[in-house]
Amino acid sequence: MPNGQTHTAEPSRDFDTVLIANRGEIALRILRACKDLGLKTVLVCSQADRQARYGALADTSLCIGPASAGKSYLNKDAILLAGRLTGAGAVHPGYGFLSENAAFSAAVEDAGMVFIGPTAESIAIMGDKIAAKSAMIAAGVPCVPGPDSKLPDDLAAVEAIASEIGYPVIVKATGGGGGRGMRVVPDAGALHEAIAVTREEARQAFGSPALYMEKFLQHPRHIEIQVLCDVHGNAIWLGHRDCSMQRRHQKVIEEAPAPGIAPDVIGLIAAACVRACLQIGYRGVGTLEFLYEDGYFYFIEMNTRLQVEHPVTEMTSGIDIVQAQIKSARGIPLDIVQADVTVDGHAFECRINAEDPTTFLASAGTITALTLPSGPGIRVDTHVHASYKVSPYYDSLIGKLIVHAPSRAEAIVKMRAALAETEIEGISTNLPLLRRIFDDNGFATGCTDIHYLEKWLKQRSAS
Amino acid sequence: MAETAERIMSGADFSDPAVIASLAAALEVAGVDGIEIEQGARKVRIVVEHGVLGAVSQVNASQRNPATAHSSAVKAPMAGIFCRDHPASFTPPFELPREVVPGDTLGFLRVGPVLLPVKASGTGILTRSLAADGSLVGYGEPLFEIEPCP
Repeated sequence: MPNGQTHTAEPSRDFDTVLIANRGEIALRILRACKDLGLKTVLVCSQADRQARYGALADTSLCIGPASAGKSYLNKDAILLAGRLTGAGAVHPGYGFLSENAAFSAAVEDAGMVFIGPTAESIAIMGDKIAAKSAMIAAGVPCVPGPDSKLPDDLAAVEAIASEIGYPVIVKATGGGGGRGMRVVPDAGALHEAIAVTREEARQAFGSPALYMEKFLQHPRHIEIQVLCDVHGNAIWLGHRDCSMQRRHQKVIEEAPAPGIAPDVIGLIAAACVRACLQIGYRGVGTLEFLYEDGYFYFIEMNTRLQVEHPVTEMTSGIDIVQAQIKSARGIPLDIVQADVTVDGHAFECRINAEDPTTFLASAGTITALTLPSGPGIRVDTHVHASYKVSPYYDSLIGKLIVHAPSRAEAIVKMRAALAETEIEGISTNLPLLRRIFDDNGFATGCTDIHYLEKWLKQRSAS
Repeated sequence: MAETAERIMSGADFSDPAVIASLAAALEVAGVDGIEIEQGARKVRIVVEHGVLGAVSQVNASQRNPATAHSSAVKAPMAGIFCRDHPASFTPPFELPREVVPGDTLGFLRVGPVLLPVKASGTGILTRSLAADGSLVGYGEPLFEIEPCP
């Protein structure tokens, strides 16, 4: 897509050493991508991860702080110092931690290193829900009905906005995310309290009481579009995913492509996404998330980073998204155009979490035995092994099981077999839950909405 | 042992009884029976009679049992480049073992333009330096081993 006259990003500098500012499976995934590209790696870790076996695969492994993420993986100064000490030319933030922190992106670049991700400005725009919505509307990306401005303090004016949108509405913190700082308002009677509570929550959790309001969609699916941009005004989209199987706003299973959506319909939305990326001078990889209901798409937010579920798109597009991201950061122009991007077959990803499959309480401890599936079309992204000690300090994700097959039905069969082969002993995992979901007829039929899993779990616990 | 001897010979003053005492204690700990060192025209021979080195006042090595002593490690307070000595210092490297008290500077961490002293937090016998001079060390990495005073 050789266009992008409006592109403003500065060309990135080249580098030969990447500092990986993350842990677990994504640190290992990035490390492997760097090796494939002939780049040297510096892996920073906390004291809790010092003994992790994957650390030995890096050219340099450096402990930067205690187990607490705030003093290690979220410690900007410690990471920048590590970059200086090791001569790293770039920092890859992975996902989570500092990956969507605009100040960190700026600090890395100010320190003379390349941030493998978008500019601080892009992150800041997309981190502000109102600014993001404005940018999307400007590019013709459909958004959820509701004003692209913060709610006024005057409650009468807020009432008028809610009436115009039509109940139910959802009130969200402009600086929120991850399912926090939002509240559904079913009718006018519940509006005042919802505004007051959410405003206070937003003030405390995100440092700003600013709220905005949107139409609350009742049975949407979560569909997202993966984009890839270089710093020369080229941008493409690599496919779409369905991540509707969620519990408490946390994705459990993802798949690509999203079933039941015609290519020409998604193609129009994706083209608008690419346009939006070019207009804001976006660089690297990103994901635009949508709610999809009754045949319409509604933009909700953009994740300005690599995502946990990127492998399903890698499987269907044949493109190594992490390598592509790093190449973009090095200033290498995209070597493919949109017409080269294909969607081949169907892929699923199961997030394997160290948690109780019924109570969902995190489970820390030592993995005493581990059997992972293998064979054609099966991929496991994980950093754990038998004798690995699952730390209580971090996210419970211990691995991702990904399958790829010619069709969705065949991919389901393959995932069932792969899950049956998988055995993890010594800690509790959500494997039993994942197996049950893949045996569920509703899920197998496809097109389930974002509330399906929660309702399904409630029904099972009641019966 | 050859490496230790070479290091010791390079800068040590064998007319200093403390140096002899330190060396004898190191030999005792290492289980070496004796050593001969030539330094120019001077020659020093130390013969260790294991278990009777109580005369070594600075470091009473014979009373330390590495297997049972509650040694503690002085750890790096942050990631950096370990420096045994201050770059501007012309003082020869200190010999081990030696007695240390809280606040004694044991080495330095260089982090960019900053040189951070690594200090002893307790009283004891500094028995081992664990990081190589000029090496990259991580947060919490053991730099020195200190055993309790006998």
